[in-house]
Amino acid sequence: MSIVYDLKNVVKERLVDGVGFRLQVPSIEIKAQENIALVGHSGCGKSTLLDMLALILHPDKSDQFTIDPVDGESQSIDKLWHRQRQSRLSQIRKQHIGYVLQNGGLLPYLTVRENIELPRRLLKLADDDSINSIARVLGIHRQLDKLPGLLSAGERQRAAFARALSHRPSILLADEPTAALDPITTRKIMAVVMELIKGLKITLITASHDWAHVYKMDLRVLMQEAEPVDDGRIYQSTFHD
Amino acid sequence: MSQLSNIIRLSFRDYSHEWRMSGCFIFALSSVLAPMMILFGLKFGIVSSMVDSLVENPTNREIRPIGSGRYSEQWIEDFRKRKDIEFIIPKTRALAATIQLKSDTATRILSSELLATAEHDPLLAGIPKIPADYDEVILSHSAAKKLNVQQGDRIDASLARQFRGKRERVHLTLNVIDIVGSTVTSRNVAFVNLDLLVATEQFKDGREVPDLGWDGDSETSVSRVFPSFRLYARSIDDVEGIVTELEKQGVRVKANVAEIETVQSIDQNLSIIFWIIACVGAAGFAFSLGASLWANVDRKGKDLSVLRLIGFKSSVIVLFPVLQSCYTAILGWLLAVLVYLGFEQLINRFLAPRLNLDQSLCYLLTEHFFWALGLTVFTAIISAILGGLRASGIEPSDGLRDL
Repeated sequence: MSIVYDLKNVVKERLVDGVGFRLQVPSIEIKAQENIALVGHSGCGKSTLLDMLALILHPDKSDQFTIDPVDGESQSIDKLWHRQRQSRLSQIRKQHIGYVLQNGGLLPYLTVRENIELPRRLLKLADDDSINSIARVLGIHRQLDKLPGLLSAGERQRAAFARALSHRPSILLADEPTAALDPITTRKIMAVVMELIKGLKITLITASHDWAHVYKMDLRVLMQEAEPVDDGRIYQSTFHD
Repeated sequence: MSQLSNIIRLSFRDYSHEWRMSGCFIFALSSVLAPMMILFGLKFGIVSSMVDSLVENPTNREIRPIGSGRYSEQWIEDFRKRKDIEFIIPKTRALAATIQLKSDTATRILSSELLATAEHDPLLAGIPKIPADYDEVILSHSAAKKLNVQQGDRIDASLARQFRGKRERVHLTLNVIDIVGSTVTSRNVAFVNLDLLVATEQFKDGREVPDLGWDGDSETSVSRVFPSFRLYARSIDDVEGIVTELEKQGVRVKANVAEIETVQSIDQNLSIIFWIIACVGAAGFAFSLGASLWANVDRKGKDLSVLRLIGFKSSVIVLFPVLQSCYTAILGWLLAVLVYLGFEQLINRFLAPRLNLDQSLCYLLTEHFFWALGLTVFTAIISAILGGLRASGIEPSDGLRDL
């Protein structure tokens, strides 16, 4: 299996409410079609790491940060950020990455169908039956012509997964996608999603603070450890296997 | 191209989806723009009307000699050639320039003033035919009304004199070829060919007029001299120069110089006041539009972050608020134009007649509307670009976390 993400000594620093926050990733290798869970308590930097993996947040420092969404097409992300190659980053993002936000992030002015279609339209992919198929699998085929505001929380998350998967990305990132859902709905949705990504041979990286849920899904866990350093002025969070 | 067409589609879908908010922006814009347009309409209407009436009203350009003088045909001809003079024609003695007019439909004889006229007479502007023969006359509105005649009617003109101890009267049939409006003069005036005016004076002075078969003493003088003239400057700006020239030649004249200066001064001061109000209004309009569009961009920050996450380029995302600002600018302008046109009709139909104005109090030219559109769209685009650049500069991850 090829290495999809290869990160070495990646650092991102931020100032949160006057206190410094440093996210440190000593070394992470994520292989193609692996299913990863970033686990840690709220505010430890799971979303920050996901955003860096989604290429929408640049690292402050890195010895290595590469992405290889398709076997043999390794890209040095730190160099692209350094050279301000925003177009190339956008290109990789729209072609190879699907991202599910905690609350779906559906555009409220488009119907569910149009939301799901959007990544495909950007890539000028053929208007085949894939939207209907994926909607049927996720159980939202009857909601396709509704606006997101008319859907339940569970349906919105299903629609968000459908949008993230509609253009057949090789990487699916999910930021606590079921945090707002009840356990039964969570179980149902994740079961369907796991089936889908297995069939589509997608690499899944999801953030969660729900240990029990992660263990049930049989994911490789990247743990987070957080500690105050520099006399408490900086809160340092480190991810490792 | 795909990103561009998609962003146009998405920006419009969002704009129409949030129709209440979009409507508020449109109303807010038009409520600032419409009064500005009305203000400009009034400025353009009132001030232009004032200047036009000042320029077009021949009375303001007339220079009248005081008392009698001796003006030869050559002197008048020389003045006629000047570029700053639109029209000059001799006048005979006032007593000799009266004629009795009678029509079949009026009971009494009207004593009317005779004024010589010719082509390009400012008092007869718009009249297609000017009296060219002895038997043609144009009547003032007052004279025509008293004689109860219309264009095409024939009237009897008569002159009387005391000659060689006998009282004599001659008659002449005149065709009324036109009637001038009441705004030209309120007096009883018969505009005739210069030859008829001269013939009238000759008859009254006891001289013969062979062309009309009127007997009298033979004409001895070859060159004619007139006691007065009727003179109009080409524009109100030329009046002062001509007055100076005439006074230099010893001709005492009277002109509306003071009135012209007063109206010119009012025109200038009014224009300054209008422009000050307009500039303050325009600045307020630009800030108001900019602020509302800036706020809109701020509000859209979250959706714009999602678009970046999906793969839209930052440069394309900047267009999202810019396009929405253009929709607001165009629709707001359209609404403001409709509001303006409504008020323009209201002002011109109901207010102008009360002020006895023939012209429109409030109006704008077509190009003014397009200037307003250009200014609005320009301001909208600048505001939205500034806001859009700010939005595109926000880390998408920050925007997404607020969702």
